[in-house]
Amino acid sequence: MTAHIEIQNVSKRYGSLTVLDGLSLTINANEFMVFLGPSGCGKSTLLRMIAGLESVDDGTISINGERIDNLPPGQRDIAMVFQSYALYPHMTVADNMAFGLRNIGLPAEVISARVAEAARMLEIGHLLERKPGQLSGGQRQRVAIGRAIVKEPKAFLFDEPLSNLDAALRVRTRVELAQLRNRVRSTMIFVTHDQIEAMTLADRIVVMNNRKIEQIGTPMEIYSRPASRFVATFVGSPTMNFLPVGLSGENGFARAKLPDGTDLQTAIRLEGINGSGHSLGIRAEAVKLANGTAATTTGKVEVIERLGDRTLLYTRLKEGSVVIAEDVGNSRIAIGDQVALALDGARTHLFNAEGRAWHNEGVGHG
Amino acid sequence: MSSMSSGRIVGRSTGDRIILVLVIALALIMMAPIAWIIALSLKDNKELMTDMNSVFHAPYTINNYVNILATSSVFRWILNSVIVSGGLTIMTLVLSSLAGYGFARLSFPFRNTLFVIVLLGLAVPEQAVLIARHQLFSWLKFHNTYHGLILPGLAAPFGVFLMTQYFRAIPKELDEAALLDNASRFKIFWKVLLPLTIPAQATLGIFTFLSSWNDYFWPLISGTKKEMYTLTIGIASTQTNFAQSEGLGFLMSQAVFAGAPILILYLFFQKYIVTAVSGAAVR
Repeated sequence: MTAHIEIQNVSKRYGSLTVLDGLSLTINANEFMVFLGPSGCGKSTLLRMIAGLESVDDGTISINGERIDNLPPGQRDIAMVFQSYALYPHMTVADNMAFGLRNIGLPAEVISARVAEAARMLEIGHLLERKPGQLSGGQRQRVAIGRAIVKEPKAFLFDEPLSNLDAALRVRTRVELAQLRNRVRSTMIFVTHDQIEAMTLADRIVVMNNRKIEQIGTPMEIYSRPASRFVATFVGSPTMNFLPVGLSGENGFARAKLPDGTDLQTAIRLEGINGSGHSLGIRAEAVKLANGTAATTTGKVEVIERLGDRTLLYTRLKEGSVVIAEDVGNSRIAIGDQVALALDGARTHLFNAEGRAWHNEGVGHG
Repeated sequence: MSSMSSGRIVGRSTGDRIILVLVIALALIMMAPIAWIIALSLKDNKELMTDMNSVFHAPYTINNYVNILATSSVFRWILNSVIVSGGLTIMTLVLSSLAGYGFARLSFPFRNTLFVIVLLGLAVPEQAVLIARHQLFSWLKFHNTYHGLILPGLAAPFGVFLMTQYFRAIPKELDEAALLDNASRFKIFWKVLLPLTIPAQATLGIFTFLSSWNDYFWPLISGTKKEMYTLTIGIASTQTNFAQSEGLGFLMSQAVFAGAPILILYLFFQKYIVTAVSGAAVR
């Protein structure tokens, strides 16, 4: 059994403070949905509202057409993995996993079978008699996932479950989560502020900011067609370059005048672009070192980040803006070098002062 | 392990050695009065009257202890003390845990105000309410009953405060995980949170038991009939007017007899008492 979750006009307030404001969202059955956003954007609150740990002030939440926002957490058929794991410290791993099943009165043999199966799947069979205090962070994390799996819920909720792990373990666990997802076909909602986790795990991402949903889309939609300047800034590493530009038109497509006076032809239709204070957005991979005539502009290299497979060059343009360019892994560029940059006009985005976005296939989602 | 230990001793600095000597000296100073009391309790009263230095040499006798046991009511007094101290301890633990959980986890009107009122109870000395309590208990005919001896101790602001702080320190995610695990609020309290407070319960239980066992003031007022004496009152009642001079050995054996259960308790719960006194977290 899996969950099709419908969230309609949901709001949450603490006194006079509004934390979520009229949010609507559909999570399809078996979908891996990631709520992505900065701290305080309301993503964990939304997750906790689905779990029943926070009340819903306005709106409704339904699973498979059945309203659940008025049900207590234990009756929503949902399992949650907490950031702190929230394992019961005085119980063994086996008891931690069995606790919820005992509470619903399942027969002992069913409970043992489920615990054994989850332990086998997560490779924690040898830990079943230990207590959480005797486990490493990664092992606790597995037990927390195991406790969720044995319940065979309609939906799994993950509240930043990787944030307490060290960098190497986080990467490994991320891969394991992706593998687990293929074995346990169920709806999963994953909250994170880490865009790499979001991009690698999600079927779709909900980018949230300031109590609202900024964009819902697949990882590549979010990356290549950000609905707003916030999304463009928040998703992608390094962050997107932004240059203030003046706009003109040629053959119906926008032509951007860069701060140093250079013109850059874009593939964005001019029609529909409105507002003022436009910025041109371009990711580092669309800014390469140019040779000869292909150069769009020039800059002085101030910082070099060598990532192995590629090199990021932080270059300062004549008029003062900083543009991050990408070069090959074994780049010979040194700090202080004057470099010619080629900006790929076909891979640019335009934003107005309100943050609305336009992309190269007509008007964007903004 | 032994090689590690010996290695540490060999490597001990001069400063550490000085501290060790000081600690041993302090321990001896602290133990001296106890050794003195035990030695006196093993001497004949008349011999002590004539020569106090006789405590340092034989003959020793257990007659003083035999005399205590020969007092017909002593086992009744022990039973009274066990009932009063044990009952008070158990009920204090139950009430303080429930109140602590309530203050730490439930929302209800005037919660903070009520908590402050409970804390103010810490500042009220027993003597200030004694007459009113005595009159009330007299009117209720509670004197010379077990509940008369136990009830005043149940108002335990320290216990409520301790348990509230302890429950507050337990992450709320555990409650939430249990809620998602379909546990009722009582089950969360009983199965998830209460077991985590065992160190605090042990600390509170020991302090409550000790203070109740040693209490002299309220049992002296409330338990006026011989069969309702607690051990402290009962033993005191057997002392003669000139016990300090004529019956020193007997007096000291009474002190040892009354203190022995506490010593046994201490040996069993040493770890928790040390932690409670040092204020360190036990979890």
